[in-house]
Amino acid sequence: MAATVREYKEELKYLNKLSDNCWQIKKGFVDNMKVEGRFYVDSKLEKLMFEELQQACRSKGVGGFLPAVKQIANVAALPGITGYSIGLPDIHSGYGFAIGNMAAFDMSNPEAVVSPGGVGFDINCGVRLLRTNLTEKDVKPVKEQLAQSLFDHIPVGVGSKGVIPMGAKELEEALEMGMDWSLREGYAWAEDKEHCEEYGRMLQADPNKVSARAKKRGLPQLGTLGAGNHYAEIQVVDEIYNDHAAKKMGIDRKGQVCLMIHSGSRGLGHQVATDALVQMEKAMKRDKIQVNDRQLACARIHSQEGQDYLKAMAAAANYAWVNRSSMTFLTRQAFAKQFNTTPDDLDMHVIYDVSHNIAKVEEHMVDGVQKTLLVHRKGSTRAFPPHHPLIPVDYQMTGQPVLIGGTMGTCSYVLTGTETGMAATYGTTCHGAGRAWSRAKSRRNLDYQTVLKNLHDLGISIRVASPKLVMEEAPESYKDVTSVVNTCHDVGISKKVLKLRPIAVIKG
Amino acid sequence: MFKRKLQALNNPQSDFNVNDENCWRNLVEWLEDQKIRFYKIEDRADLRNKSSTQWPKAFVKYIQDLQCPLDGSDRLAVCDWILGHAIRLEFGEKAQMFKGEVAAPQSPSGPVAEDPFASIDVSSPDVKAGLVSLCSLLNIPRHVDPIVTLEAIALLIKDRLSEDAQEGEFEEGVEVDLSEYEAGFDAKDPVLNDAGRILRLLHINELRDLQTKINETIVAVQTLTANPKTDQRLGKVGR
Repeated sequence: MAATVREYKEELKYLNKLSDNCWQIKKGFVDNMKVEGRFYVDSKLEKLMFEELQQACRSKGVGGFLPAVKQIANVAALPGITGYSIGLPDIHSGYGFAIGNMAAFDMSNPEAVVSPGGVGFDINCGVRLLRTNLTEKDVKPVKEQLAQSLFDHIPVGVGSKGVIPMGAKELEEALEMGMDWSLREGYAWAEDKEHCEEYGRMLQADPNKVSARAKKRGLPQLGTLGAGNHYAEIQVVDEIYNDHAAKKMGIDRKGQVCLMIHSGSRGLGHQVATDALVQMEKAMKRDKIQVNDRQLACARIHSQEGQDYLKAMAAAANYAWVNRSSMTFLTRQAFAKQFNTTPDDLDMHVIYDVSHNIAKVEEHMVDGVQKTLLVHRKGSTRAFPPHHPLIPVDYQMTGQPVLIGGTMGTCSYVLTGTETGMAATYGTTCHGAGRAWSRAKSRRNLDYQTVLKNLHDLGISIRVASPKLVMEEAPESYKDVTSVVNTCHDVGISKKVLKLRPIAVIKG
Repeated sequence: MFKRKLQALNNPQSDFNVNDENCWRNLVEWLEDQKIRFYKIEDRADLRNKSSTQWPKAFVKYIQDLQCPLDGSDRLAVCDWILGHAIRLEFGEKAQMFKGEVAAPQSPSGPVAEDPFASIDVSSPDVKAGLVSLCSLLNIPRHVDPIVTLEAIALLIKDRLSEDAQEGEFEEGVEVDLSEYEAGFDAKDPVLNDAGRILRLLHINELRDLQTKINETIVAVQTLTANPKTDQRLGKVGR
């Protein structure tokens, strides 16, 4: 179906500012919209959104990704969507769904769909935060050694291979068991599972639904970080906004050292998504499902293809948790070696582990009625409020921790979920900075040596597998993470607890 | 809830509603006339005049005369006490008759012997009187069910007064500002909201204990299954 091409001025008529930080996308902005769209931006991010739309109007919709606002609206046209199609402040164009888009589908509606584009290719890409009892003072003198040691322990980059021996049988078990596999084999601590979204295991996972090709790609990559925006960072607590919540996370002072690991399901998740898209195109023809954008390939949730995808996605999600657990194990070893002690004595506990790219069956209130929804979160994070039964006992009073990774050289944040967010966005908030420039534009406009020098000037040690690509991940290529986080805080869909500042980075 | 006590006293009612004013006054009169017989017949006039507005006053005087430790404001508690008192008197009079009917001897072995509380008959008046004085000593409220009262006393002693608790008290005892905690609902009454917060904290405390036990179990299993290995030769850094 061809997208309607209109003048920029015409397009603006469908967009309405509801409050300081919230915009409405009216029905009719694209064809077949079942519900309205919403997006949350502050004035700075708003400008980026509208520039992107203006650009697309000028090029008459030819070439490149659709602008994020159009993508939000196209998702609002999918069968069975409920509430709104919601864009978070870090939203930017992606495959089918924009990255930073949340959409929930009513499980009781037989027409409702699941779409791999709504999860993303890096299934269960996520962030894990570990704390230590060290302070910046302890770490600063050995910062370079630590960065090198992490780089030596955690293989990074495209085509990297992990140091944890895995056979085909172990992989099958890991896909089924998720973090329970890591626990059984001794790579994880019992407390790690407690502080992980979904307790590190999606029970509906079925390794038989994961293709041989996907498994072959995943087998050697376990315990590797990957490339792109993935990283492991040594960070220090820069600011505490909420003492009570911070204390619950084991953070009691500025300067305390933490570790952030941002990674996903590597080639395995990518292959699962690719395989599903092929299957779903067939299912769409059979069930006569109409979508506005070919990239929004989807299948009815209760169809064979829909169920197969959800089971394979769950297996890929389990792989990602095993992957982050393995890297946690390697990180603990690296630190223990450097400080000649044990990870226990360094108090290297997992604060929390969040998923950015995932679809989950959840219970929500829709117009005062409890409903079972399939919530797609792509480039967005679950943020459940205090007292929600699915969050760990330690965070029952504070709400679920939400880990917002910045980009190389910028700050990261820890937020908590709120009741407001539960009602407004089905318990969803932003996930990071979000790209402002395409990778190609970053490569054209930035010089990698300048980027590395800037980081050095900020006092950040860096180890990187492919330095010539660092400009893709330079702070200039991204939206301002502080703007993104403040927007979420001001709208009330999550609240700030901590700000973290990087002192060493390793990446692909 | 007083079925068995009424039965023990051969009261014709199988059970009764303590909040029904008529039933309540009838029961008190019946107990005094038939079982307790504390006043001389001519002194019972005030208590027998059940339709009088002065009856509650007469009743308060009556329980004071009976040396009831309660003030009469809690009807359930006072009803329980007065029934228990009547049964004690009844038993005292007919002790000879009951002598032959000793319950089957309890075996001293098994869990019964290990748990000293298992052999306590909480409905016995002596135990109840003991509980009442313990409660006033420890300054905690009484519950109609003596077992609940007993549990509350046991908890207080275990958590606050035992040697272990006294040693640990210095680490604990963090002062909590309730307003920092969200109850998760608004009962439109600050006192109820605070009560809600306290219940939340108590519940979380129990959940924490459960989660700790789960973690301990996982660790116990790990000692059998865990054998993490790494092989640096497998590692390869990408580009």
